[in-house]
Amino acid sequence: MTENQLPGPGLWTTSVGSFPKPDYITKARSQFARGEIDREALRELERKATREWVEFQDSIGTDLIVDGEMYRGDMVAFFAEEMPGLEIGGLVRSYGNRYYRKPIATGPVGRDHPMTVDWWEYAQSLTDKPVKGMLTGPYTICDWSFNEHYSSRRDFVLDLAKVVRDEALDLERAGARFIQIDEPAASTRMDELDLVIESMNIVTEPLQAHTITHICYGKFHEAYPKMLDIPVDQIDLEFANSEYSLLEEFSDNPFTKFIGLGISDVHTHDIEPVDAMAEGIRRSLKHIPAERMFVDPDCGLKTRTVEEAKEKLSNIKKAVDVVRAEL
Amino acid sequence: MAIETTVVGSYPKPPTEGEQFTLRKTLHALSRGDASESDLRAAHEALAREVIEEQEAAGIGIVTDGHVRWDDILTPFARHMAGFEIGGLLRWFDNNVYYRRPICIGPIEWRGPASVDAFKFAKSIAKSRVKAVIPGPVTFARLAVDEHYSDHQEFVLAISRVLAQEAFELEAAGAEFIQIDEPALLEAPEDLDLAREAIYVITSELKTAETTLATYFGDAKRLGPELFEFPVAGFAFDLISGPENMQVIKELPPEKRLQAGIVDARNTRLEATDDLVREIEELASIVGAKSLRVSPSAGLEFLPREKARAKLQRLSEAARRVGS
Repeated sequence: MTENQLPGPGLWTTSVGSFPKPDYITKARSQFARGEIDREALRELERKATREWVEFQDSIGTDLIVDGEMYRGDMVAFFAEEMPGLEIGGLVRSYGNRYYRKPIATGPVGRDHPMTVDWWEYAQSLTDKPVKGMLTGPYTICDWSFNEHYSSRRDFVLDLAKVVRDEALDLERAGARFIQIDEPAASTRMDELDLVIESMNIVTEPLQAHTITHICYGKFHEAYPKMLDIPVDQIDLEFANSEYSLLEEFSDNPFTKFIGLGISDVHTHDIEPVDAMAEGIRRSLKHIPAERMFVDPDCGLKTRTVEEAKEKLSNIKKAVDVVRAEL
Repeated sequence: MAIETTVVGSYPKPPTEGEQFTLRKTLHALSRGDASESDLRAAHEALAREVIEEQEAAGIGIVTDGHVRWDDILTPFARHMAGFEIGGLLRWFDNNVYYRRPICIGPIEWRGPASVDAFKFAKSIAKSRVKAVIPGPVTFARLAVDEHYSDHQEFVLAISRVLAQEAFELEAAGAEFIQIDEPALLEAPEDLDLAREAIYVITSELKTAETTLATYFGDAKRLGPELFEFPVAGFAFDLISGPENMQVIKELPPEKRLQAGIVDARNTRLEATDDLVREIEELASIVGAKSLRVSPSAGLEFLPREKARAKLQRLSEAARRVGS
């Protein structure tokens, strides 16, 4: 773990994963879908957008960089497209006017090539700061897919865990020191939290990297403190959109891992002022020390506009600087 | 005799693969200022018509408008109540689907019907019978935030009085069937007495409509047979996500109807028609063919359009075969 430590006294800034796609990517993706441009033309634009986001994070002094997922449509569908055994299904609605293509398990899932390593290498080549490897966890891929093959959810999840583990190992071989395995669905069903833990153990057991998982709010108050048994070094949680209500739990049951402290609501156009963000960090520091705290938005920023996302990230960095000066 | 078929409520909004998704485009255009509210109304009505025709073509006896105007089952009603504002997104039970949490900030009052116009439209175009669906007061209260009453019972009953007004207006508009959705009751057996009282507030306003209390996404076993003392004409259960419900229905009093959710509304795997036939026969032997209605396990919006349609076709084919 120590070789993965970032410089400084803690309170490092990072992001949860996705950033908004600039208009030229949205346009290029539709053109590609209609067969008007080829894959390499799309790739070139995705590389350009990735470079712009890495440069932006560098420019505001972000400590732990993400590639922004310019090449991913959806956090589950991206992996489903690359994995044997999963097919892309029809459109289903998630909320409002937002729809996604929900994958279908039609056979045993497997992995015949690395899925994210080339993008990680590209992003890392653009900066001296560490870039996070970003994967979607086995439980969430199962939970957000239809299942026409496996006789139990457990069988499906454990097969997926081996796929995600192999991808994580390849990221580590490529040099990733921070690997995030997102499990936003982990807080959905309390009777399956053991399955989340079991499958995450398959993924992280062979890894030397600093491991992180992002979990959405869900039934947090029921999932905590058992959530701390998920075998990762860090859990990333959303605090801003619940007005830091999670902190109450930490009084009775101390949070023992590194934390990713989400201090900006990703579902609102409002840009939280620096003062409010700084106050959120100060309140959280009463429960978790700075040397175990990463600060970021609540969740991926892909549903915001590019400008909103940049303003939120800039304010997060400013809030961190304010509080760092008080340490 | 034929076994009746129905749906639980929602229906996929996306079109058959490859066709124009007019509603989605209209909503995008509206947010850019390139479309008007009347364009949106036209898109909603066109989709409601399509969804009703599709259910009818599949052979469903009692249809809904597919909730095509709703983002979730709470928001449209909360918007028509004084005392509520609309909050952030939360997961809809254990689905990768979200709803906006209503926040109660003042006394709750009815501000006019929320669903009556949509019901009237559906009824005007449907050849089959149309069911109205409203959220149940306990589910509404448990998924909302109460910043005003600070007393759960008072909060639930205040919501039930508004929903009673809605149900009354639906009946006046010609609703023969009113389904009250209480999925949250499954995880709240402590609210059972309160729920019965709140449901009574609603159903005691009704004279002719046939009422159904619907639960889905789980087992009703924890609620016990006291559930059947609720003042409704029938009960809907999800036999896919709640396999224990097969035991629960054995306690169903003979004067009550059963709406049995037997095709999986949350997975694409198609049920074999022969299996459905056997299941319907078993259900008919327990509650009697006359008291039985079969349906999907929940709203069909969790599925892609083609799968929802295929499931309804198999459901109604199986129901026909049992009846013949």
